[in-house]
Amino acid sequence: MDDAVIQSYEKQAEALEGSVAGMDDLRAKAIKDFAAQGFPHVKAEDWRYSDLKTLRTKAFSPANHAGETPDIPKAFTDCAARFVFVNGRFSESRSDMGDLWQAASVRPLANHFMANPDRAAELVRGRDGVGMLNTALAKDGMVIAVPAGVEIDDPVEIIHIMTGADDCAAHSRHIVELGEGASVHIIERFIGDDSSYWTNSMLQARVTESAKLYHTRLQEEGANAIHTSKAYVNVGAGGQYHACNLSLGAKVGRFEAYVRLLSDESNATIDGVALAGTGQSHDTLTHISHTMPHTTSDQIFRTVADSRGKTSFQGKVTVDKDAQKVEADQSFKALVFDRTAEANAKPELEIFADDVKCSHGATVGDLDAKAIFYLTSRGIDPVTARQMLVEAFAAAALERIEIEPLRDALMARVGDWMAERKAKPIPENKSRVE
Amino acid sequence: MLKIKDLHVNVAGKEILKGLDLEINAGETHAIMGLNGAGKSTLANTIAGRDDYEVTKGTIEFMGQDMMEMEPHERVAAGLFLGFQYPVEIPGVSNLNFLRTALNSVRKLNGEDDMSAAEFMKLVREKATHLNMDPDMLKRFVNVGFSGGEKKRNEMVQMAVLNPKLAVLDETDSGLDIDALKTVAEGINVQRREDTAVLLITHYQRLLSYVQPDKVHVMIDGKIVKSGGKELALELEEKGYADVA
Repeated sequence: MDDAVIQSYEKQAEALEGSVAGMDDLRAKAIKDFAAQGFPHVKAEDWRYSDLKTLRTKAFSPANHAGETPDIPKAFTDCAARFVFVNGRFSESRSDMGDLWQAASVRPLANHFMANPDRAAELVRGRDGVGMLNTALAKDGMVIAVPAGVEIDDPVEIIHIMTGADDCAAHSRHIVELGEGASVHIIERFIGDDSSYWTNSMLQARVTESAKLYHTRLQEEGANAIHTSKAYVNVGAGGQYHACNLSLGAKVGRFEAYVRLLSDESNATIDGVALAGTGQSHDTLTHISHTMPHTTSDQIFRTVADSRGKTSFQGKVTVDKDAQKVEADQSFKALVFDRTAEANAKPELEIFADDVKCSHGATVGDLDAKAIFYLTSRGIDPVTARQMLVEAFAAAALERIEIEPLRDALMARVGDWMAERKAKPIPENKSRVE
Repeated sequence: MLKIKDLHVNVAGKEILKGLDLEINAGETHAIMGLNGAGKSTLANTIAGRDDYEVTKGTIEFMGQDMMEMEPHERVAAGLFLGFQYPVEIPGVSNLNFLRTALNSVRKLNGEDDMSAAEFMKLVREKATHLNMDPDMLKRFVNVGFSGGEKKRNEMVQMAVLNPKLAVLDETDSGLDIDALKTVAEGINVQRREDTAVLLITHYQRLLSYVQPDKVHVMIDGKIVKSGGKELALELEEKGYADVA
């Protein structure tokens, strides 16, 4: 990797000294680790489907506050609070604090460790260059702690907006802590203009006994963006992490979820839809660790790739030796619209217990020609027929979102995406399976 | 209403229809009978405009229009309905959404406004009840988990909702028990009017006891070799195709 790139990031880390109480030591370690290994290469097994060439060859500067006020998108539904980050910086004036503060502790990352600097050591450091750089350069984010027994009914929205940020990056770190029996729904949205920016976001969460974290993500970055984000979640007894990700934007997009099921009856449900237009790459990596007996996980992923689009799914499930009676299901289905579209599936099961039920399935193909003819033979034009079939295909991975207006909004995105494809005739049936 | 002249059709490079002629007028019900492989389904699919059915010679005229110039969905808007031998399962698309999109697509192509949700629900419920279909099945995904009989009944509901001028029913009677057969026959008979026509494609005489055709055609090796009245169906059943033809 280019030394100048590493030096630039070292300088950026140095400049952040003292910006977040308690984080200096962590930052110093993280930037050292980053300098030693740089950004992951496509030759690294986990990164074979996402090429970070752009990041390796030029350093992205810290994004500054935008001069102009970008439009804040309308909420999908009533929210307990809406937190807006512009170019990686928390914008209090554009946020709506709602009444969340009455029920939960909410504060920016910068103040979080002030009282207990030692707790900064609990921050996830990241095991690759992208994660390490997030640890080294994050200075903003939301810390939301919901006390035991408190259920936040309306979702909390975190909106990341990037604007006028050519060659700039935003590294944000959000922390969610749920006390026993607490619950919250976090909606994360990522939007931006056409500048060539990099969003590098991380959310880490602790879901304790019987708590529930719902996490719905909508990635609609600008067309020239790079998007990398990671979720690290630990789930206690009877707790649940319920995530759904819809990836639409960015040139290169990647979402990773690392979930550790740490006690009896804990569950991870992770669904996702990725729609890749021409020249786009969407990569999803999940790793669910079943460390204890009677833990369950369920994943449904559906992706669609148009001409020269690429979608990838790497789903790893590990079951420890004593984690008996585990149930883990994983389903990945991809549509490719022609021979230049690409879909990659890499399910990985590492099972060391002997009494478990684990399943995975992966298919790649085009839309069913018989189904298209059936719809057209009832008077539906071929473009609408295709749209209906793609919506139905994606619905399987979106229907577990419990908030109806949110689910409908995401479904509508899928329909809109297909509608945009009308202009181009879709070449004949061809598919390829790796 | 439908005029087919010297129709030759290739499927996967092989000639299946080899010069077929057929004329159906408004108010008539015709039956085409023949053994497997005679080209009956090829005829149905060609009329509906399915890809992979290559017309190499001949003409199909429907309601005075050249059918070869029309896309499958445009043929439906002009008044054609194809009842499938094997109705397709479509997971994720509800029967109601399917029917409503279909009906409104046809109305749009004919320059009419969308039917209101209330009016549509009333229409569909009425048709489903008439065909002994459990209204709950309307909410389910199209044909998913339906029995053979339920799928065929669903075809009849679609036909009733779309109210075509010409219904081409491909082996609609296959795989039905006697109760389902009677219901389906009832659905077809309701569709027979002065201004409509029906083309039944079938293997057996069975359905024809309930839906009496005006004309019966015998199809062998891609051609119609004999035509007659409804008594021809009984003769076929008795003597077999070889002797009749």
